Amino acid sequence: MEKVIEIMNLTKSYGNGRGIYDLNLDIYKGDIFGFLGPNGAGKTTAMKIMTGLIRPEQGDVRILGHSVTEEYEKALAKVGCLIEIAESYHYLSAFDNLRQLARYYPGVDHKRIDEVLELTGMLKFKHEKTKKFSLGMKQRLGLAAAVLSRPQVVILDEPLNGLDVEGMIDIRKMIQHLAEKEQTTFLISSHLIHDVELTCNRIGVIYNGKILNVENTQTILKNYATLENYFVSEVERNGRVSSSAS
Amino acid sequence: MAVFQAALLNELEKLYKKKKVLVAILLSLAVIVIGQLVIVGVRSGFGLRGTGSVEFPMLVLSVVVNTILPLFTALVAIDSFSGEFNQNSMRITLTRPVSRFKIYTAKITAIVLFILGALLLLLVFSLLAGFIFNTNSATLDSLGRTVFSYFVSLLPLTVLALAIALLANIFKSGIAVFFVSVLAFLALKVLGVLFSQYSSLFLTTQLDWYNLFLVNSFPILKILRQFLIMLGSGIMLFTAGFYIFDKKEF
Amino acid sequence: MKFKKKSVMLVSFTVGTLLLATTALADIASKSGYDELKGAIKLTTEQASEKFDSFTLDYSMALKDNGKTLESSNETQKVDRKNSASENISSSLSANGDKRSSQSYSDKTTIIRVSESDPTYYVTEFTKERKDEAFTNPFKEEEAADLEKIVDAIVGSLKDHVVVTENPDGSKAITGSLTEVQIPSLVNAVASFQLKQEFNNQNSNQNNSKMPRLTKDVFVKEVKGSAKVNADGVMESILGTAVLSGKDEQGTVHEISLEALVKVMDINTTTVTKPDLTGKKVVKDIARYGDAEMSNPEKFVGKFKNDIIIEKDSKFVKVGERFVDITQIDGKSVAGRYYAEYKPEFEEYAASLSSFKFEAKFEQEQKTSANFEGTNDSGDKVRGHIYLSEYEGQVNFNIDNFNGSFGSGLMFNSSFSPVLD
Repeated sequence: MEKVIEIMNLTKSYGNGRGIYDLNLDIYKGDIFGFLGPNGAGKTTAMKIMTGLIRPEQGDVRILGHSVTEEYEKALAKVGCLIEIAESYHYLSAFDNLRQLARYYPGVDHKRIDEVLELTGMLKFKHEKTKKFSLGMKQRLGLAAAVLSRPQVVILDEPLNGLDVEGMIDIRKMIQHLAEKEQTTFLISSHLIHDVELTCNRIGVIYNGKILNVENTQTILKNYATLENYFVSEVERNGRVSSSAS
Repeated sequence: MAVFQAALLNELEKLYKKKKVLVAILLSLAVIVIGQLVIVGVRSGFGLRGTGSVEFPMLVLSVVVNTILPLFTALVAIDSFSGEFNQNSMRITLTRPVSRFKIYTAKITAIVLFILGALLLLLVFSLLAGFIFNTNSATLDSLGRTVFSYFVSLLPLTVLALAIALLANIFKSGIAVFFVSVLAFLALKVLGVLFSQYSSLFLTTQLDWYNLFLVNSFPILKILRQFLIMLGSGIMLFTAGFYIFDKKEF
Repeated sequence: MKFKKKSVMLVSFTVGTLLLATTALADIASKSGYDELKGAIKLTTEQASEKFDSFTLDYSMALKDNGKTLESSNETQKVDRKNSASENISSSLSANGDKRSSQSYSDKTTIIRVSESDPTYYVTEFTKERKDEAFTNPFKEEEAADLEKIVDAIVGSLKDHVVVTENPDGSKAITGSLTEVQIPSLVNAVASFQLKQEFNNQNSNQNNSKMPRLTKDVFVKEVKGSAKVNADGVMESILGTAVLSGKDEQGTVHEISLEALVKVMDINTTTVTKPDLTGKKVVKDIARYGDAEMSNPEKFVGKFKNDIIIEKDSKFVKVGERFVDITQIDGKSVAGRYYAEYKPEFEEYAASLSSFKFEAKFEQEQKTSANFEGTNDSGDKVRGHIYLSEYEGQVNFNIDNFNGSFGSGLMFNSSFSPVLD
């Protein structure tokens, strides 16, 4: 299978002892990969490195064969992402915000902007300035931005933040739809175990900056009653009990 | 190049959409109107000519190059960097397939274009005002020198923009950057007076370098030295600013 | 790739730094024409006040209206520094057509003056040798350094308008010119306002003058200057021209130009000759003032008085007399008594300050004035200042806080004339 994301020996430590240490992970084409781990485990750090927001101390990430640290523009050319909170220029309308991003991708025209707005249910707010948007609306816009360029890889950090149940279902549908129809590879981090269980087809547990295990969702659910049980047992197996982690 | 163009276009759009341009236009026009009113007042009140048609743009330039242009430059540069750092909106651009070098360069270019726009606006309107309201004193030579003066003023203002961009990358708060810039500006002005023999090294003096182009003898060596000093400090400031920007974590 | 980016940054930063540093050094090292001009002026004045034995200075000035001379003046000053002698010949033409010329000579012991209008030679002889320098260096004054900085700052970017051309023989020509575009508008406005005021004020005093009265569109049109510096770095001549343009009431355009030329000539070859007074009408005068020390202070011993006056029924009425009675005086101190005498019908004006004794030591520099302190009849301290004027033959006597008695309508006059009968 074609490797879409290769994380190699990735290390980045913060002063307070947090960070990621010697992280290795491969994500294949068509995966909806769930990054599962407690707050501060290193999910966001890994994703920030992948999207160029921070630089690794060691190691590298290759996306579609291009190194993030060396060929940033090529590596990110077919990547869409949403890291932490969906940011937007609040003095621009939803449409203008997306048009700003569209300029970086050849072949993304106004029609495509309308398409993604439709996809995320934001079309009716097209010409409204984002400063008036609710958290959920901002998140939807952020997702629209992430998939705007018809990316082959989508990196989503806590994509369901601030969304209501309806929103969550919509987004989940959208993810699955894209993965099936356009063979888009997803890397999704979440602390909502149930949601990961429903959305993702492969799951990696990250704890204290290290990947504990990577497994297919189906395989996990064969051996464990729920994903939560799997997560707790994985963490326990590594000698660090943290049932409260979620 | 296409990526850089996109980044630059984005920066310009942001500037424009933030009503910055409108404010700049209004302020520039206000300066010209007030200036012209003062001249008319001086003429009728004191019996002085005030300025001729070509001197009026020079008067405007001598005022704005030390006041509103550095102010615009500072505000725009601070907004472009500190503003986006603080709102985290820098991430929007950073996570796109565009290198930080291009982002930094695009931002600086947008600021420079903004200043150029302001200069052009001031030039056109002050020339108009000059010709309409003042006694004609234009010769082709003086007109040429006037236009030239406006254009060469872009260089020191660019260096200023680079300096403020560096500060904006060092300090977190935009307000801190603004105050440090203002203090540094005033300090350099004072130092320029106290140590006038070294004043050509100070950015605040370089803002007035257009005067060199007015000199009859055209002091080419002096102009070249000033140009190289600005170029050197510009390169330094750009590199230092970009180095910090490139290392920043978001 | 990573390494490359870092090295590119390092290289570019280094290039920037080097570029800045080398040009900055070159810039500081390079002397602007303005600096050369300043240097030449300084060197010239320094040499004139310290090195040259003799030299001739020639100042001339002309004020022209559209090319027609309105006013002119010329002054030639010959200085013999060795003998502390100098000779001055000046002539001028004023705007109302008056021509004047005069001549003066000065050495350690004499000053001789004569003018065309009055062919009498006024000779002043000094009892003591004067220590006056024939020419002092203005740059050695205390404020000179600060003043220079201020001038530098004002001149600012105009410095670069000064151009130096070197001649093969080592001499230099320094020139500079500013036209209206080059003169900063603010400077132009302030300068033309100042000039206009000055010019028109002068005019209003002389109604018959040929000077035009500028009322409209006044501006400084041009400022030019040129100087010649010889191979030794001494400035031989400096010429400055300023043109002020403006319109008079009738709307006629006037270009008023002011030209000033200073020449330094005949260095070490100037001879100063004392005018030959034989057969001339001479008025002699022994120096009695201007010199620090009084020749015979005893002449001030005695009474000096003035009238005490009040204003009554729109008339000045004398109510009494004040006296300063100097009892003792020498080169160092003066002592005496102050008192006032009122006419019997005005006795009510007599105040507590009507009488006190005083004693004072002369100030070091000026041996004719002193601060005194005295005690009045009721034991209070009284302070004041006494000045003995040889020139007027008067005593100036000021009492501090004398204002108190003004309330009663008394007027105070500090000049006391000698009681000579």
